[in-house]
Amino acid sequence: MTRKQTLGSAKIAPYVFILPFIASFLIFYLYPIISTVIMGFQQVYPGQVEFIGLENYRKLDNPEFKVALKNSFRYTVYTIALLIPIPLLLSVWLNSGNRAINTVYRSVLYIPSLVSIVVAGTIMRLLFASSDKSFINTLAIAVGVEPRQWLLGGSHQAMILLLILALWRWVGVNIIYFLSGLQAIPDELYEAADIDGASPSQKLWRITIPLLKNTTIFVTTISIFGGFAMFEESFILWAGKPSPNNVGLTIVGHLYNKGFQEGEMGMASAIGIVLLIIVFSLSISFLKLFGFFEAEGRR
Amino acid sequence: MARILHHSRRAFVKYIILTLLALLYLVPLYALTLAAFRPGRDLLRYGITLKTLIPTDLHISTFKGLYTIRDGIYITWFGNSLLLMLLQTSLALFLSSFVAYGLSLYHFKGRKVVTTLVIFLMLVPIQILILPLYKLMITVKLIDTFWGVFLPMIVSPFAIFFFKQYIDGVPRDLIDAGRVDGLNEYAIFFRIVVPIMPPAFSAMAIFMSMQSWNNFLWPLIVLRTGEKFTLPIGLNTLLTPYGNNYDLLIIGALAATLPIIIVFIFFQRYFIAGLTSGGVKG
Amino acid sequence: MKRILLFLVLITCMIGMVFAAGSKEESSSATEGTEITFWTFQDLHMQFYVDMAELWNEQNPDRKIDFKGEVLPYEDMHTKLLVSLQAGKGAPDLVDIEIAKYPNFLKGDIQLIPLNDVIDPVRDNFVTARLDIYSKDGKNYGLPFHVGASVIYYNMDILNAAGVDPYAIKTWDDYMKAGKIVKEKTGKPMTTIEVTEHWSFWPLIAQQGSDFLDADGNVILDNATNVKTLQYLKDLLNSGVAIATPGGFHHAEEYYGFMNDGGAASVWMPMWYMNRFTDYMPDLAGKILILPMPRWTSDGARSAGMGGTGTSVTNQARDIELTKDFLMFAKGSEEGNLRIWEDLGFDPPRWDVWDNPRMNAPNKFTDYYLNDDIFGMLLDIKDEINSVNIKEKLPAVIDRLKSTVMIQALQQQNKSPAEALKEAADLAR
Repeated sequence: MTRKQTLGSAKIAPYVFILPFIASFLIFYLYPIISTVIMGFQQVYPGQVEFIGLENYRKLDNPEFKVALKNSFRYTVYTIALLIPIPLLLSVWLNSGNRAINTVYRSVLYIPSLVSIVVAGTIMRLLFASSDKSFINTLAIAVGVEPRQWLLGGSHQAMILLLILALWRWVGVNIIYFLSGLQAIPDELYEAADIDGASPSQKLWRITIPLLKNTTIFVTTISIFGGFAMFEESFILWAGKPSPNNVGLTIVGHLYNKGFQEGEMGMASAIGIVLLIIVFSLSISFLKLFGFFEAEGRR
Repeated sequence: MARILHHSRRAFVKYIILTLLALLYLVPLYALTLAAFRPGRDLLRYGITLKTLIPTDLHISTFKGLYTIRDGIYITWFGNSLLLMLLQTSLALFLSSFVAYGLSLYHFKGRKVVTTLVIFLMLVPIQILILPLYKLMITVKLIDTFWGVFLPMIVSPFAIFFFKQYIDGVPRDLIDAGRVDGLNEYAIFFRIVVPIMPPAFSAMAIFMSMQSWNNFLWPLIVLRTGEKFTLPIGLNTLLTPYGNNYDLLIIGALAATLPIIIVFIFFQRYFIAGLTSGGVKG
Repeated sequence: MKRILLFLVLITCMIGMVFAAGSKEESSSATEGTEITFWTFQDLHMQFYVDMAELWNEQNPDRKIDFKGEVLPYEDMHTKLLVSLQAGKGAPDLVDIEIAKYPNFLKGDIQLIPLNDVIDPVRDNFVTARLDIYSKDGKNYGLPFHVGASVIYYNMDILNAAGVDPYAIKTWDDYMKAGKIVKEKTGKPMTTIEVTEHWSFWPLIAQQGSDFLDADGNVILDNATNVKTLQYLKDLLNSGVAIATPGGFHHAEEYYGFMNDGGAASVWMPMWYMNRFTDYMPDLAGKILILPMPRWTSDGARSAGMGGTGTSVTNQARDIELTKDFLMFAKGSEEGNLRIWEDLGFDPPRWDVWDNPRMNAPNKFTDYYLNDDIFGMLLDIKDEINSVNIKEKLPAVIDRLKSTVMIQALQQQNKSPAEALKEAADLAR
């Protein structure tokens, strides 16, 4: 048997095919995760590494980390609460009527997701600038509201800005997910409902929403990890400075500050591990709850 | 009759709301476009004002800044972004479809584990891995290189999953025919499977190019020197109150965004296919 | 398929153009000399170094340098530097490190080069307290730009309109009273107070001999003096004498625009803020008068040495000796110190140039400000410039001041000054 034949044989070939994945898994996922676990127990300074046990985790019991946890959690909950019903409703609208016109609306709503976060954040900063003449403050004055320094306001104001940014960027993407889910629903179901004299809202609640279950699970899952991993939005909105009162501080933001700004790699690793545990346990238990894995297995 | 009237009133309301929403969604981009024709400093001072939104007093000359400010560093950033996008996308397309083929076609030991692993890794956000990845890049001396930026991205679990779904749908007769013709396993992939994959490739290509073009956090950490920055990283450096770079910030932001929107308008179909056909099924 | 092909062709053309442009650039910018790369977060510093590099090349034709500088955002630059030094790759040869971040670079094995051998010959001519800031265990790692004396800048147009004489403002109580008159007569606030940075707060406590850290590096952020001073700032805001700085801090574009339009009657910042006026608020030329700060008590100090930027050589420098010599030439030589005043408007750290006639010659600063003798005013308060303690905990304290204390105590006022300071102090301890 020559070497070529061996590699080409149907027994070995599959392993050759998956080799790039295995290599990349070991180097870019497994090794980093293991080394994060280890660094989480260490104090890491240039040229000086010291084992300090659970000290990093003990230090996580501080107001800043709690603020970061709270902000990330709130952001995730709110984005799910907004970015599921709104796109769902819009996609139902866009699924009926004139196709050409619908395509135009769909495209317009989708375009913001193509804009880099740096650009999107910069435009937001400019629209919400603190001078009385800025776009949003002009509108505020017109409707009789005090002009504000939006970016320096309290945590509610900051959350609103972050949510507006999220809505602007992600509504269009979720619409497309829901539209593709809608197109898989057989028309006969609606026709049968029409014969029974069902109202549009009955059709929505009895047919559309139940049959969009898988799509909704998928969108919720990506929203969970997208929400907890959020960092860039607030990094750009506050131009890389600490946000006032830590209103924009998220878990990843805290990790970034500790690891890259203060050079506390050990502490940052501990934060990373906590985040990994949160995201994994939440999204997996969520998927389990809705029986996603069984569905996968059956297919 | 009443019912049709009722129906058309509903449709009317629906389109009014949709139109308002669409206009609202276009305001930021419209504002950016007009802003780019005006001096940057006033924008940073007063923000985008109502006056900014009225298309008067526009100066095309601001765009000269793209190649004059700081010796045309913007062109370098643009080139870096393009180069990285091409390298990352083409390598990722090739490697991910290669792996997907292996997973889709063969029943080998460990296949289930690997498939599950692929799905799990789709749930790991890169943000969690930045710290150890960054240490790894130091160890292998890839900090501040393009390799460091794209190597961790070239085997994408999402793309593998997407391609696997696609190859699952390829008729097995076609592949068996290849075997009968005496092609070896790799030749079947390259000569039979790859030629029927362009629709999947183009969808993924667009999806991945977008990701690469707009990628922010990882390049921010890996890249150190100004001539190596990508567009988002370079533009981010202009967001500082200590410099005089506002003009470049605004026109640069526009010039980084417009090409993508134009490409989108021409290739909409593929954008949307890239998003949907892999993941969600009804 | 055709469209994709067309698209690929287009992309290829674009890349071709980019590389053509790139290579042309490279060939034209090639200069002789050893390359020295430099990072700063301040555009104005950059100009100074570029000029000094030119001068160096004139005077040292046998040791020419090819100076390549880069201006990065403040946080970004320090982050990148820290990780590059840890990585052992990607750091510049020479770098500006801001005082509040400096202690971060003195952790673990220090990645900066000691400058003692180049400083020693002229050490006695320096205000040595300014060298100590950037030192650890007797080794000096950075060269200062300035003494950083805090002063107050009055907009005389507004004060005249209100009929207030700035020379009559002797104490902070007077300042409050004068502020009320200004507010009443002109409707404008007397001043602005930073709510996302610490420059409105730090000089006031340093004036009184207090600080964030004591000489041993212990956190004293929440002591009685600091609480009382923060309360004073709160009173200024609540009485309408002051407003929160537009944009949050005195380096925000919004603030420059606001102040340039005659938004507030005064601001206290260190001497090095002079060039922000000349560069970013051109409409105020001929309207600004610089005076020492009001005192807290009748014999209290009228200033405090604030802020600073230490320029350091990293251990990744291509030619360490050359980089050290250039740094010493730029910031440590007599000529360099004179230029620090002439180009940047800073109060240079070498006292032996203070009586040099060039310190009194007209320049863009004497043209802009109403003062006849800026440096004379500075010499007058020279012995009242209290200094601050730069120790390991400083970055942590300053980050907290920027992110929580000032906002909570002044802007939102949901915590009393005492509570806000105590919480931040505990966190930093």
